[in-house]
Amino acid sequence: MHKYITRRILQFIPMLFVITIIVFGLAKAAPGDPLTGERLDPRIDPAVYEERREALGLNDPIHIQYWNWLSSVATGDFGTSLQYTGRPVLELITARIWNTLYLSLFALGVTLAIAIPIGIYSATKKYSLFDYGATTFAFLGLATPNFFAGLLAIYVFSFLFGWFPAQGTSTTIGLTGFELFIDKLRHLVLPGFTLGLASTAAYMRYMRTEILEVKGSDFIRTAHAKGLSSQSVLYKHTLRNALIPIITLLGLEFGTLLSGAVITERVFNYPGLGTLFIGAISNRDYPVIMAINLILGVSILVGNLLADIFYAIVDPRIRYD
Amino acid sequence: MKFNKVWLMLVLSLSFVLVLAACGGGDGDTGTDDESANDDNGEETVSGPQSGGTITAGMYSAPGHQFNPLFYSDAYEANILSFTHEQLVQLDQDLQWAPSLAESWEINEDYTEITFTLNDGITWQDGEPFTADDVVFTYETIMDEDYVAAGGVRTSYVVKLDTVEALDPQTVKFTYTESNVNAIFDASFYIVPKHIFGDVPLAEMPDHSASRRAGEVIGTGPYQLTDMLENEQYVLTAYEGYWQGTPYLDGITWRVIEQSVMPGLLESGEIDMIAEPNGVPAADFERVDALDNITTFVTQDFGYQYMGFKLHHRTADDVENGVIDPDNWIENEKLSDVRVRQAIVYAINREGIVNGLLFGMGDVLNAHFPAASWAFDEDAPEKYEYSPETAEALLDDAGYVDQNGDGFREDPDGNEWVLNLDYPTGNQVRERSAPIIVENLEAVGIKVDLRNPREAGPHFDMLEKDNTDWDLYLAGWSLSAADPDPSGIFLSTDAYNYTRWNDPHSDELIKKGVQAPEAFDQDYRREVYAEWAHYVSEQVPQVFLYSNTSNYAYNAKLQNVKEYPSTIYTDSHLWYLEQ
Repeated sequence: MHKYITRRILQFIPMLFVITIIVFGLAKAAPGDPLTGERLDPRIDPAVYEERREALGLNDPIHIQYWNWLSSVATGDFGTSLQYTGRPVLELITARIWNTLYLSLFALGVTLAIAIPIGIYSATKKYSLFDYGATTFAFLGLATPNFFAGLLAIYVFSFLFGWFPAQGTSTTIGLTGFELFIDKLRHLVLPGFTLGLASTAAYMRYMRTEILEVKGSDFIRTAHAKGLSSQSVLYKHTLRNALIPIITLLGLEFGTLLSGAVITERVFNYPGLGTLFIGAISNRDYPVIMAINLILGVSILVGNLLADIFYAIVDPRIRYD
Repeated sequence: MKFNKVWLMLVLSLSFVLVLAACGGGDGDTGTDDESANDDNGEETVSGPQSGGTITAGMYSAPGHQFNPLFYSDAYEANILSFTHEQLVQLDQDLQWAPSLAESWEINEDYTEITFTLNDGITWQDGEPFTADDVVFTYETIMDEDYVAAGGVRTSYVVKLDTVEALDPQTVKFTYTESNVNAIFDASFYIVPKHIFGDVPLAEMPDHSASRRAGEVIGTGPYQLTDMLENEQYVLTAYEGYWQGTPYLDGITWRVIEQSVMPGLLESGEIDMIAEPNGVPAADFERVDALDNITTFVTQDFGYQYMGFKLHHRTADDVENGVIDPDNWIENEKLSDVRVRQAIVYAINREGIVNGLLFGMGDVLNAHFPAASWAFDEDAPEKYEYSPETAEALLDDAGYVDQNGDGFREDPDGNEWVLNLDYPTGNQVRERSAPIIVENLEAVGIKVDLRNPREAGPHFDMLEKDNTDWDLYLAGWSLSAADPDPSGIFLSTDAYNYTRWNDPHSDELIKKGVQAPEAFDQDYRREVYAEWAHYVSEQVPQVFLYSNTSNYAYNAKLQNVKEYPSTIYTDSHLWYLEQ
C-alpha cells in the first residue's frame, strides 16, 4: 500500500508539469492580454500600455515566459497579479480559499444529509408515493438553474422572512469566537443549501440504485434465510456494500471542493475561488490563472488517489500491491 | 433503531437551521433599538445638520485593493479614493474648477505657469501637516521615468509639465513646457503623502502596505479607510481632524453586493446608497424610484456609445512597428462615400434603442459632447432624425442600388456590398443593440454581416490593430467631466482614432480649440467646438448612438448630498442623517 501511494504521488510530478504547459499555452493562445481590456479612458496614452507590457515581460517569447513562471514557482513565488496592481497571487488566493472550502463542505454536507436517507428510504419503499415524490423533488433541484434557485432563496428567506442574510460572509467586521462562528454559519445557509440541493438528485439516485442492486444479491438472500431481522439486513449487510461506490464518488468530489461555484458565489456575493478564477480568465491575469490551476490540479489528483485508497479500505476484495 | 437515528439527525439539523434563523431575527431587532435610542439622545426637533450615524453604500464589484491614487486602476478603487483623498481643485456644479486643497491659484499670461496657494491647517489622517512638498512629491513621482514600469498609467497629467516646485510650505508652482489651456485640469490629480512614500523606492510603492492595507492608507479626505473584509466590506471612518470640520456622519461602509438583489436591499434598508460608478440599472430604476425611503438622482453620463466606421486601415507593417502615419493608410472603399455614412445614421432608429433597451434612461447623441458639458451646443450638429426614406434616397443618389434583385444593394460598380459589424461583450445594452442596428440597416437594403461578439479585450485589440476586414464596430468612451478637448480620440494621428479618420480640417479645428492665447477664453473654445461638432456631424466618421444616464439612489434621510453632474460625492463631510 505505501509503495503504491508513493508511486502514485511520484506520478503527480510529470502530470502537473504537463497540465501547466497545456494551461499556459491555452491561456496565452487566447487573444488579448491583461492590458487590452482597459482602453476606455482616452486620457491614457496607449504607449503607456506598451511600456507596461514590456516591463511585465508580456512581449517575451512564450517559452521564456513559461520558464520565468516555472522557475519562480519552483522557489515558491507565485508572482504578482496583473489585474490587481501589486498584489501577490498567494494573498489573493488565501483570502478566498477558506470561503470556498467552507461553502463546498457545507454544501456537500447538505447533499449527503438529504440524499442518503432519502435514497435509502426510496429504495426500501420502491415505487411508493414517497419514492416518486423524492425523485420529482430531486430532479426539480437538478433542473433549476443555480442563479434562479439562489435569487428565489434570497427573496423568500432573506427579504420576505428575514431569516438569513442575503449577501457576503459576515455581517460586520470584528466579531470573534462563537459569535463569528454563528455569523459565518448563518451566511453559509442560503448559498450552501442552494448549492447542496442542486447535486442532491445524483447522490440520491446512486444510493437508491446501489441498494436495489445489492438487495438482489445472493448474500442478502442468505442473510434473510438465516433469519436476520430486515433492519439488520438493511443496515449491516445492504447499506455497507451499497456505500462503497458512494465513497469512491466522495473521493472524487474532494478533488473538486476547491474549484468553487461561480454562479452561487456571484448571486450571494460569497467571495470564493470560482469568481476569482473566472475574473482572472477574462482579464488574462496569467499568474492567477496558473496558480489556481495548479491548486486545482493537485487537489483533483489527490482526490483521485484518496478515492482509490478509500476503495481499498472499505472493500477488502481490492488490494494494491 | 438505527433507522430512527437517521431521522433524528434530520430533525435535529432542521431545528438547528431554525435556531440560526431565530438569531437572525434578533439581530434585526437590535438594529432598530439602536436607532430609536439615538432618537432619544438627539435634541428635540433640531433642524439642520446633526452628527452621528453611519450609512452603508453598495457597489457591484470589489475594488482591486490598490488604494494608492498613483496606481489605482478600477472605478471601485476610485470610489473609495474620492472619500479618502483630495485634489488641489475640484469641479463644481457648473463643471468649473473650484478650490479644494488649494484656496486660490494664479495663472500667468501665457498659461505656462500656475501657482497654487494651499489652504491652512490641512492635516493628513495620521496628523502630519499637509504641505506643498506633498504636491511636489506626487507630481515628481508621476514624472519619474520608472513610474510606468512600476505600474502607473496616469502620465497624461504630466505630459506638458516641466517642473513643479514648492515656493514655500503653502505655495506650489507648476511650470509647463508650453502654453497649457488645461493647466488646472493637469494639476487636479490626487495628492499622496510624502512623509509616508518619500523613502519608498518607486518599484515597491504599489506593494507597500500604505497602498493596500486598511488603516495604513492615508489621505487628507474626510473619511479614512480603517477596516476591510476583503471583497465584501470597506469601512470608512470619519476623520476628526478633517480641515473643513469633522464629518457629520460617523462613517460610511461600502458593501459589495450582487446587482440583481440591489432593489431589495435598498427597500429593506440594508444599504442606503447606490451611486457611482454603476448606479441603478435602467431596468430597475422605476422600482427603486417608487420606494418611499429612497431619493433618486438622474444625471447624464459623460461617456457615450458609438458605432465606428473603419474609414482607413493601417498597413500590416505599420501595425507591427506601432506607427500611426495617416499617409500610409489604405482607404476602406466600402465606406468612402459620405452619403453612405449619412444614410446609415438616418437608417438607425437610435431613439428606439434608447426607449427600448435603456427604458428611456438616456439620450440620443449627435456630437462628442454630452449635454452636461459646457462645450455642448444643441444646434451645432446635424440631427439625423430617424428616417429610412432619407437613407434610401441618399443611397440611391450615391449609386448604391439593388441590381440583381436579391433585396440588398450592390455598390456602384455592381459588386456585392457587405458591411461587417464587430462588437464586444460586457455591456449588455450595447450587445443587444447590435442585432437591432443590423435589422435597421437591412431594412434600407444594406447587407450587414453581424459577426460573433468577442470579449472586450480582444475586441479592442483587433480594433486597434486595424484588422482589414473590419467595417463597422461598436464601442464606447468614458470621458472626463473636466475638459471637453477631443484630441486623444479625434486627431488623425491619435492612437485612439480607431476609425482612422484622416481629415485636415477636423485636425485644424481640434488644435484651434486649445490654441493659446485665444483658448484661455471659454467662449472662444465653445464656438470652435460647435464648429467642429457640426463638421463631424456632416462627415460622419462614426455614428453617435446614445449616452445613458447615471441613476443614483440614496436613503431619503441622508441630507446635503450635492447632486453635481460630475459626481455626487463632493463635500461628503457635510452629509448627515436626518434623525
